[in-house]
Amino acid sequence: MQSNQKNPKRTAVSGFELKPFYTAQDVPEGHRERTAAAPGDAPYHRGFHPSGYRSKPWRIFQLSGFGKPEDENERIKFLLKNGETGFIMEHDRNTADHCYNVDHPEVMARREDVGLTGAVMQSVRDTAICLDGLPMDTSFGHAGGAVVQHAPFALAAYWTVAKNEGHALSSLAGTGQSDFNLTYLGCVTKQQIPTDAGLRFNADIIEFCTEHLPRWVPVSIAGYNAADTGLNPAQELGTLFANAVEYLDEIKRRGSIPIEAAARACGGVSFRASINLFEEAAKMRAARMMWSDLLRQRYGITDPKIANLRIHCVTAGSKMTYQQPLNNIVRGTLMALGAVMGGVQSLGVSGYDEALSIPSEHAHQMSVRIQQILQEETQVADVTDPLGGSYYVEALTAQLAESGWRFFDEINHQGGYLRSLDSGWLHAQAGENQYTEFMEMESGQRHVVGVTMAEDDESDFHVDGFVGADDAFDVALARLNEVKRTRHEKGAHAALKALESACRGSTNIMPSHMDALAAEVTLGEIGDVYRSVFGDWNTPIQT
Amino acid sequence: MQSKQKRILMAKTGLDGHWRGPTLVARALRDAGFEVIMLGMASSDDIGRAAIDEDVDLVGLNIGGHIDVAVRAVKELQALAPDLPIFAGGTIPPHACRQLEALNVEVYPPGSKLQAIVEAANRLTRLTPDQVDQV
Amino acid sequence: MSALAELVDRVRRSDRRALARLLSLAERDPLIAPELDSLLPIELGETRVIGFTGPPGAGKSTLVNALLEPAMASFGKAAVLAVDPSSPFTGGAILGDRIRMSERTRDPNVFIRSFASRGEQGGLAASTALAVRIMALAGWPVVLVETLGIGQVELEILNQADCVVVVLPPGWGDTIQANKAGLTESGDVFVVNKSDRDGADQACRDLIDSLSLLQRVPLPQVFKTQATNGVGVEALWAHLVQWHDEERNSGRCASRRLDQRSAFLNHALHAHIRARVDRYLGAHEFSADTRLGVLLDKSLAELSNGQS
Repeated sequence: MQSNQKNPKRTAVSGFELKPFYTAQDVPEGHRERTAAAPGDAPYHRGFHPSGYRSKPWRIFQLSGFGKPEDENERIKFLLKNGETGFIMEHDRNTADHCYNVDHPEVMARREDVGLTGAVMQSVRDTAICLDGLPMDTSFGHAGGAVVQHAPFALAAYWTVAKNEGHALSSLAGTGQSDFNLTYLGCVTKQQIPTDAGLRFNADIIEFCTEHLPRWVPVSIAGYNAADTGLNPAQELGTLFANAVEYLDEIKRRGSIPIEAAARACGGVSFRASINLFEEAAKMRAARMMWSDLLRQRYGITDPKIANLRIHCVTAGSKMTYQQPLNNIVRGTLMALGAVMGGVQSLGVSGYDEALSIPSEHAHQMSVRIQQILQEETQVADVTDPLGGSYYVEALTAQLAESGWRFFDEINHQGGYLRSLDSGWLHAQAGENQYTEFMEMESGQRHVVGVTMAEDDESDFHVDGFVGADDAFDVALARLNEVKRTRHEKGAHAALKALESACRGSTNIMPSHMDALAAEVTLGEIGDVYRSVFGDWNTPIQT
Repeated sequence: MQSKQKRILMAKTGLDGHWRGPTLVARALRDAGFEVIMLGMASSDDIGRAAIDEDVDLVGLNIGGHIDVAVRAVKELQALAPDLPIFAGGTIPPHACRQLEALNVEVYPPGSKLQAIVEAANRLTRLTPDQVDQV
Repeated sequence: MSALAELVDRVRRSDRRALARLLSLAERDPLIAPELDSLLPIELGETRVIGFTGPPGAGKSTLVNALLEPAMASFGKAAVLAVDPSSPFTGGAILGDRIRMSERTRDPNVFIRSFASRGEQGGLAASTALAVRIMALAGWPVVLVETLGIGQVELEILNQADCVVVVLPPGWGDTIQANKAGLTESGDVFVVNKSDRDGADQACRDLIDSLSLLQRVPLPQVFKTQATNGVGVEALWAHLVQWHDEERNSGRCASRRLDQRSAFLNHALHAHIRARVDRYLGAHEFSADTRLGVLLDKSLAELSNGQS
């Protein structure tokens, strides 16, 4: 191994020293007795169900979409046909992230980017095209709305289409995202509602779902962007639970719904799976422990059904290399392996061309094949928590939980998760780690195959970036004009006014969003209301 | 005697919010003694205006989306300030790299060493003999 | 006409590129300062210079950005000079103020320029003073200068402004840093930003109390703003305009500008001589056993007869 020579001491990504081998004594005392537990026993580090993947394999769940809504519809159908078992709607980021219609000057200045990494959906009509023929009633659908200010629109659009197709909202299974770590930490947008407004949005969504959509995960508390921005696994854990606490404390403060209902809803979370597979598997185990501890200690909740942490996982996009992209198939496989050994409920594997573009059909198919091979050929799914009892993994699990709580405390010391975002403190922690990692690569202390070593590929297999469609902007503009021309204008105007009124007041924003989407109000019009009512988040970093 | 501080303008041509890359590069350039003016997500007009008003010696573009957006920004900048060097980094697939190189833009895709980027910045901002005499 | 004189002339005729170029030269090279000083009017004339300072996290850049709108409504055009600290180790800097003003950056009636402090004692104060005079020559009626204001160098920059606005976050009352940094004494107008947060009202009251003890004429006023959504910004601007008018009418502005001119001469002389000494030392070798007296005699002789 090349890194050997200069750095004999080995450390986990989270900073703990890695011993050459582990014995029972290396498992911290407080955790030792837990190693005798079975899956289903508190604190659930081994999972919740003894039958594990035998009764319910993890969901093959791939991020997908580009171009016009019909292009995305086609790609989702392709993935479903090839074996994914849920579907994710990715929205065009230029429009969605900022709640701009395509005729906004910032979007028009970048018209060719429109539709590059997600489909443009500006009204309920577009969403209906995207969902046409998709099994909304039997599949687990991700409505999009990754960015906090986009979530109400994305959710209301999906649910309105579902209603129009005759599905009862109460029967719909799926998830929103409305991801704080993505929005305010990892992918800071040009313009965004402030964090306090974002918290209000998410609490409103949680309330609305507990009342109308009991099978829907309202928002996804997600660690992916915390990790891909530079926070290590222990920090990812601490950050995710600090995020959860903001939501639960807000629900508690409102007193509008039982805290148990909110906790149950928030128990669908998302983590990144990176390539240090044992640490990543241990991270998932630690997460389950930490969630049950958090619920019990902070909220007095001990019901195992509520402590059931459902984890969706996405493999680390930042680990996919630009050079020698086929190597990334191996990376994707190893990251997936770590995740499933950690017992996640749902998994998306990044495409091997991730560093170049959104996935080509082939890369997407490969991401599904990786998971199918794991499920069908390796017997990894036959035994629950296969790493349970490993001295190494149990030690890591305990260390990660302890370290995770320490970072959680540090965040609270900064005034809480929201304040740590507003001040840029969290970004600074992530930035420091990134910098260190980069310097290690530059100096040869850390190696990436194909990038810092083994750079020349003799049997070069050429992969180029995938560009999905070139007419997304033009079609979107035409459709925007069409909607505005043919909708019932008085109704749309009234619905938008009501939406604004709800935003300015303190009523739940979701009912007025449902009405607005049904009345064919467009994304940009809603975005303009947000900008006028909530102002713009003061970004703490230069981006 | 000319002060050695050279000024570099860093801008993102797309509306994509990933800030890891530009922040790392900005920090490396600062550590190498450059003054780095961060523009963030900016349209071609913004970039051109900033390049002129800030009288920069080099423009660094972070490119993440469709190559046509970046090409447009490059061409407009070159029309406005023909002698101003430009270099670029980001998620740039091979076909797009070639298009940028054809426009005389040096490209640093993912995996490029920070050291190489810093060396490029030093090389691109070195005064040519006739520029030294010019006021 | 020298090349520099030609450039200054182009600036006078509102050539924007020449303006940008001249600002660079003034900042970069203390050796041209004497010629530049002779080419620029000593008087700033109608141009108003407002300095903004405050601790990190106060939202200073956001407030300056918010003030651009009423400033342009009043005067048609506005310029911002934003100063950020340089790394003392590498001499480089990350200048991130411009990014806060993203909506304005395309407007031709706005000119934003980022400066790095470069760490030289007095050097930045001298070049800021020159920059302000250059902006005045180019016809910019109002110049907003923005800096951290925590150190000696930054205070010297602010002393080149007609009016110093101190921007504080709520909860300022908890820290005594503002007092220590001499901001309470140097500020002409005080702003508590993020006024929707807890502690804003208390911070205002504490400030008003502190200021009343100082017996300044005129007594500095305290304003509350929420720069992110414009609350209080118009009122603050109206006060800044009125304040400046009164300073002018009372003669205090002119007297302050005279003091600033003296300070500029002081700083510029130091900076210039330092630059010349540096140049001399760069061009001449001497052994370690040279006596200081000998070195002094030789260098002074060359410096005074214009050889270095």
